[in-house]
Amino acid sequence: MALSKKRVALVIGSGGIKCAAAIGMWNVLKDEIAVDLIVGCSGGSVYSGCIARGATVEYMAEWSKEIWTADIMQGYTTNLKAARDGSLKFNESSGLVDDSYLNKALEKVAFDMTFADTNIPLKIIATDLMTGEKVILSEGKIKDAVRASSAIPMIFPPWEINGRLLIDGGVSDPLPIDVAIQEGADIIIAMGFSLSYRKRFRSMTAVQEQLNSIYMNNILNASFAFHNLAHHAEIFPILPEFDEPLSMFDVKKIPDIIAKGEEATSMHLPHIKRLLDSL
Amino acid sequence: MKITDKKVNGITVVSLEGSIDALTAPEISQYLNNLIAGGNIKLVADFSGIDYTSSAGLRVLLEAVKETRGKGGDLYLSGIQPDVEKVLTMSGFTSIIKVFSDSEEAVSNFS
Repeated sequence: MALSKKRVALVIGSGGIKCAAAIGMWNVLKDEIAVDLIVGCSGGSVYSGCIARGATVEYMAEWSKEIWTADIMQGYTTNLKAARDGSLKFNESSGLVDDSYLNKALEKVAFDMTFADTNIPLKIIATDLMTGEKVILSEGKIKDAVRASSAIPMIFPPWEINGRLLIDGGVSDPLPIDVAIQEGADIIIAMGFSLSYRKRFRSMTAVQEQLNSIYMNNILNASFAFHNLAHHAEIFPILPEFDEPLSMFDVKKIPDIIAKGEEATSMHLPHIKRLLDSL
Repeated sequence: MKITDKKVNGITVVSLEGSIDALTAPEISQYLNNLIAGGNIKLVADFSGIDYTSSAGLRVLLEAVKETRGKGGDLYLSGIQPDVEKVLTMSGFTSIIKVFSDSEEAVSNFS
């Protein structure tokens, strides 16, 4: 393993099922470089939590088939209809989905482990629903932090931690490189995902999804641009490309997604190692 | 990293070949700074030979853009390959620096 004289951080951003590409990234990096910090948000928090506590690549690949299924959306259609006709009262703590399946699936990220139990220091990002503030979680149970970071607004109920109602970390920053910068990371390997754009619109929901993609991609680019220029050393952006749009539940495509993560990371590995070896 | 330059219609075309990262960025920075200090403030950075760039390289580019513009000139980019373009776009560079398909087009666009 190459010696790491400088601090190396991995950042895994939001991207839903695409975040499984982080398994491929870890498969390429794990025996090659020493990582000092992992930062994750939204779907990325799931894999950052797994990697930090020492889950194997095989475990993550198998478990991914459990979480990225339509089962995590139980109640969505019925509740959406009820919310629209007013029969379902909605407030800041509401979600359209019964989150019991999600909560059970997320147990397997790190079981009852806390941030203090991890092999690699971990930070998970969520967003305060009431203030919009980015919230950095680094204490307590990992599963609570991942649940908060994964709480897609309106879909999953927010998750309360320390009296704050928390939602998807991607809402405040889809690729929180700044957390790694603030922690003094010299070399940051950042895996990020842009959202695909629709070509056809057959419902209001479809238009809403398109707008969401536009907002999120612009936030991702603006945030990345700033952090790129603010950082003192090197950021390696790992941006897996997918041949076709992926739906949230394309479980059969997980092996391909992992392979894309490996491919995208392998492109950077010689440069990463060259830099580490020279320091 | 291989860097050469030539004058085309009064514009300095800088051809870069290789990868731009934290290790090669200082060399590129030095080269561009020397050109600018020598009065070459209208530059085209030909990226057709660049197959890879990371954040350190982007900061060097921005430094040169600001320096040339501060002196009344500019720096254009040309010949960017798809993987490099992806990073430049995500970093916001393509919205603040003019990009052309090749160095001839870039040179002809300097007024």
